[in-house]
Amino acid sequence: MATPEQQADILERLKNGVIEYDEDSVVAASREALDVGMDAYKAVMDGLAAGMDVVGEYFAKGEYFVPEVLMCADALYGGLNLLRPHIKMDAEKMIKGTVVIGTVEGDIHDIGKNLVKMMFEVAGFTVHDLGRDVPLDQFVDKYLETDADIVCMSAMMTTTMIGMPVVIEKVRAKNPRAKIMIGGAPINEDIAQKWGADGTGKDAPNALQEALNMIGVLRELSDQFKTERVQKEWGADGLLDASKT
Amino acid sequence: MVNNSKDTVMKVLRGDATRGDPVPNFSGMGSITLYGIQQLGYRFNEIHVDARKMADAAASTYRLFGFESAVVPFDMGVVAESLGAAVKYYDKADQGQIIYPTMTRKVIDRANVNVPEGLSEADAKTFVMKEIERQITDYELRMPPDIAHTGRIPVVLEAIRILKRELGDAVAVGSWTLGPFTELGQVMDLEFLLKMSAKKPDVVKRHLSFMVDYLEKVLSLYVEAGADFVTVREMGATSSILSPRMFKSLVLPALQDLFGRIKGVPRVLHICGDTNPIVELMAESGADALSVDQMNRLNETRARLPNVVLLGNYKPFGAPFCEGTPEEVDAMIKESIEQGADAVWPGCDIWPVVPVENMKAMMEAMKKYGVNSR
Repeated sequence: MATPEQQADILERLKNGVIEYDEDSVVAASREALDVGMDAYKAVMDGLAAGMDVVGEYFAKGEYFVPEVLMCADALYGGLNLLRPHIKMDAEKMIKGTVVIGTVEGDIHDIGKNLVKMMFEVAGFTVHDLGRDVPLDQFVDKYLETDADIVCMSAMMTTTMIGMPVVIEKVRAKNPRAKIMIGGAPINEDIAQKWGADGTGKDAPNALQEALNMIGVLRELSDQFKTERVQKEWGADGLLDASKT
Repeated sequence: MVNNSKDTVMKVLRGDATRGDPVPNFSGMGSITLYGIQQLGYRFNEIHVDARKMADAAASTYRLFGFESAVVPFDMGVVAESLGAAVKYYDKADQGQIIYPTMTRKVIDRANVNVPEGLSEADAKTFVMKEIERQITDYELRMPPDIAHTGRIPVVLEAIRILKRELGDAVAVGSWTLGPFTELGQVMDLEFLLKMSAKKPDVVKRHLSFMVDYLEKVLSLYVEAGADFVTVREMGATSSILSPRMFKSLVLPALQDLFGRIKGVPRVLHICGDTNPIVELMAESGADALSVDQMNRLNETRARLPNVVLLGNYKPFGAPFCEGTPEEVDAMIKESIEQGADAVWPGCDIWPVVPVENMKAMMEAMKKYGVNSR
């Protein structure tokens, strides 16, 4: 078993490896975490996710732009792929939830969608990724098939977001309490509200920022919520409200 | 002496507008309305593939509302398609959906990679990523032998000719392509293009140099066919995505190269998203006019660039333009002019669902506020 100092050192290297987009270093630290018998979930949340949290701050401050964030995400996945199989799925702290996510029909921009997906994966959600250019009915079908907790739709183009209210309406028709998040460059709170979505980024132009902000919120949630409560009560509302604090 | 709408527009684009001249209201990007298309009896999917219908749709915004340009094409797939990307055409108007043609398969695309069987999900992803990186590093884009007859480029060329013939004296005919960096993102995996801009800039520079050569040829064909002005839309290089440093080292030289080679008509550089950190660099591109969207603090930009032609910057989707009242649209136009725009011009394609009364309110507002006071 690793000493607290060893653990702190590994977490620091995981975190910095993500921040410095040094995938090799993240992979090495992840192997070491497993070798010394560290809790894989702790390594993900307090190492990798903590690093991404800082990346989000850098992005907000204009120190990092999208290319850097993408490289950080690659580094994070390098660690996540190794650590995830070792996370004990019955861990009490884990958020249990199912998400259906995709980029709407007519739009093939999936960078923002993929980052949001990553955040959900890090937090332990089961993610059904429908990909890009997804026919609107597929969101509804998958939602019903998987009994998902959340439906996430993304659109990069002003010309494609117009499909979103159609899906929101159809999902709501099946389940008025469904949680729906929409995001993408042209989406803002006003649009989300008007269309009846539960949430989106506060400020449209930077949907990526909101994806990055989610990481911190999900980390907090994982500490605060027990599985059962999460299943019952947690939703996009809570998450996004939390992201504003 | 300004005679008509086209003269007003061309004078602004050439930087010759003076105090007391009318401020025009036009665009160099898609500016069609669903109302206009329905009046013509066309379906939304037809106007992207048929030169006659494309021209009619582009002309309808001028004919119905007095909008001061007619611009083709409407979708972002024309050039990428001519380089081998697959474009999908949707026909969902019956379901109440308007979907523009979209690239569904790029030339370099993850969906083209054959993953060996038996790999875990994580290993398969790593395999695909390595393969895409290798392809982008090794790949040489190739020009089609006869550009004027490749893909839909002949459709766009014919639509320009029709517009020129039928409206050319009265209204400015515009055409556009994406910028070299953004167009590369249409042809190859965007995520990797962005990462490699940081990791292997020389590889990206090589592809950019091809794209400048190619866009020069396409834009020159558009000009030859009769475009009175052209717009280059480099939104992929916005400061919402790329650092100003990378814009300067990677994208700006390509834009300068391209603008240096397009002759004979005014050239507009359009970038949307956050452009506040890069407007001075945009002004160094060699473009005759700059177009920015609603995220640009236009009054500041005006102060920073007193002698540059600025086109902007109302938001052509959502509220108020498409979802607000005519009074709100009136106020929006007033603000654009007060902030120092040389022409009222949208920050992106106009959303075709814009209500008729809001289009009318916008053009009416020009009569009230549209006088150059600079």
